[in-house]
Amino acid sequence: MTEPPPIIYLNNAATTWPKPREVLEAVSQSLARPVFGSGRTTGSQGEDYVTLAREAVSSLLAAEPPEHVVFTMNATDSLNILIQGFLAGKGSGSHVLATELEHNSVLRPLAELERQQRIRLTVLPVDNGSVNPDLVESAITPDTRLMVTTHGSNVLGSLQDIYRIGEILHDHGVYFIVDGAQTAGHTPIDLKTLPVDAYVFTGHKGLFGIAGSGGFYLRDPDSIAPVRYGGTGTDSFSLYQPREMPERFEAGTQNYPGLAGLAAGANYVASVGVKAIAEKAERQTAFLIHELNKGPGIEIHNDSPELPIISFNIRGLDNDDVGFILARAYGIVARTGLHCAPLVHRAVDGGSGSVRLSLSWFTTDEECRIAAEAVREIAENADSSLGAA
Amino acid sequence: MRILRSVRHKSCADGSLMKEFLLSAPVTEGFFSYLENFGEVEALPNLGEGFYKFDKPDCFSIRGLAGDTTVEVRFRREVMHLTVDFLYLLFTSYREDGPVDVAPLKQREQAVSKRVKEHLYGPD
Repeated sequence: MTEPPPIIYLNNAATTWPKPREVLEAVSQSLARPVFGSGRTTGSQGEDYVTLAREAVSSLLAAEPPEHVVFTMNATDSLNILIQGFLAGKGSGSHVLATELEHNSVLRPLAELERQQRIRLTVLPVDNGSVNPDLVESAITPDTRLMVTTHGSNVLGSLQDIYRIGEILHDHGVYFIVDGAQTAGHTPIDLKTLPVDAYVFTGHKGLFGIAGSGGFYLRDPDSIAPVRYGGTGTDSFSLYQPREMPERFEAGTQNYPGLAGLAAGANYVASVGVKAIAEKAERQTAFLIHELNKGPGIEIHNDSPELPIISFNIRGLDNDDVGFILARAYGIVARTGLHCAPLVHRAVDGGSGSVRLSLSWFTTDEECRIAAEAVREIAENADSSLGAA
Repeated sequence: MRILRSVRHKSCADGSLMKEFLLSAPVTEGFFSYLENFGEVEALPNLGEGFYKFDKPDCFSIRGLAGDTTVEVRFRREVMHLTVDFLYLLFTSYREDGPVDVAPLKQREQAVSKRVKEHLYGPD
């Protein structure tokens, strides 16, 4: 088989690639041998990937106890379970807060509930990449029950002041769900101290797992009603879903290859160290921004992202054109368009979308240099073409 | 030039449907000059062998790099059933080694445009 041409993969905010060797081996091994599952007699060869993954994620995020880490298909799945489960039985009229930074995984479940007249939704504007905590406080009304917000923007790479926002919300008795799809594995998370009620993660981004794995940490299990019911391999005489964690939220056969990969990925991140990952990302991101700023007509939408995410447009070129040229002429994989976060684009690029470069621990300095040169070359061509017109 | 196969597709943020087509031969500057008979062409000719974008409003757009055997086509989804045959015709009618008689294509284009307009905006 012919080797495909080399690519520079800068779409890690969507899905990280490549994966650590340990992850590939764990996934492969999980398919090659019988797995251990609750209530299954698979013998001594079977690995308990579910427990391994729970302990690995719990340890990485300081999410205690490990049983409060629940596995799902991905962050979107987790957010749907948490949002629907929190609002179940609360009747209509709950006021819910979100922000312009949200991904559609937050916006669409909330918008649908608003359309069904089950909630009243307030979307808070962002200023310089994040929501001012004072604005959160001023938006709280007597019927505010819930805030769902992203920890890190998948468009601007900015972090929100989750600690301060959480304190404010808890002072007012408002439940707080944080979407950590972009932050788990990228920035240190300590759920022992963060004032959040639920923290959502996905396996296939910063935790280096594979697609189809994810989950959430839930501080108080009774705060969320299960919305899925089924077999857990435990207490099977009972026709009702067990109250115990994590079975309360985990019905059906688990994604063993996905959890094997997640366990290996989380352990890999822990072995490298989230701080080291964040420091390298910060250095490379700063380099890329510095280099891109040298090009004519390159408008960067966030000059100082805390996450390795850079969104930009080139004057005179559609963002999809830039993505096409990067991919076809330079072999650079970027992401273009709205990145499933439509509202923030109204604020930063008039709603037309942007080109996004996103890095991972495996991105090399040389790849950053080549990518910066490629973007500048495209910008220079666009600039001279505009000048000639 | 022939479209060999559609290698991937996706729904775009603007509601259009993108299809990436593998062609029997690389696209050229001449191909996009020929397409100018049927719509607007933008170019960055100094980028590699040249980046080109053809736009036929309300129907489809074609992006390509000269020398590449893959192009990206974005269809306006609501009228794709009316325009896709014309797109294929544009490719199969082009000849790199000689002139193309665009007169019958222009006739076909008018008929397609009329049906597209009626579908999108109603009859005159």
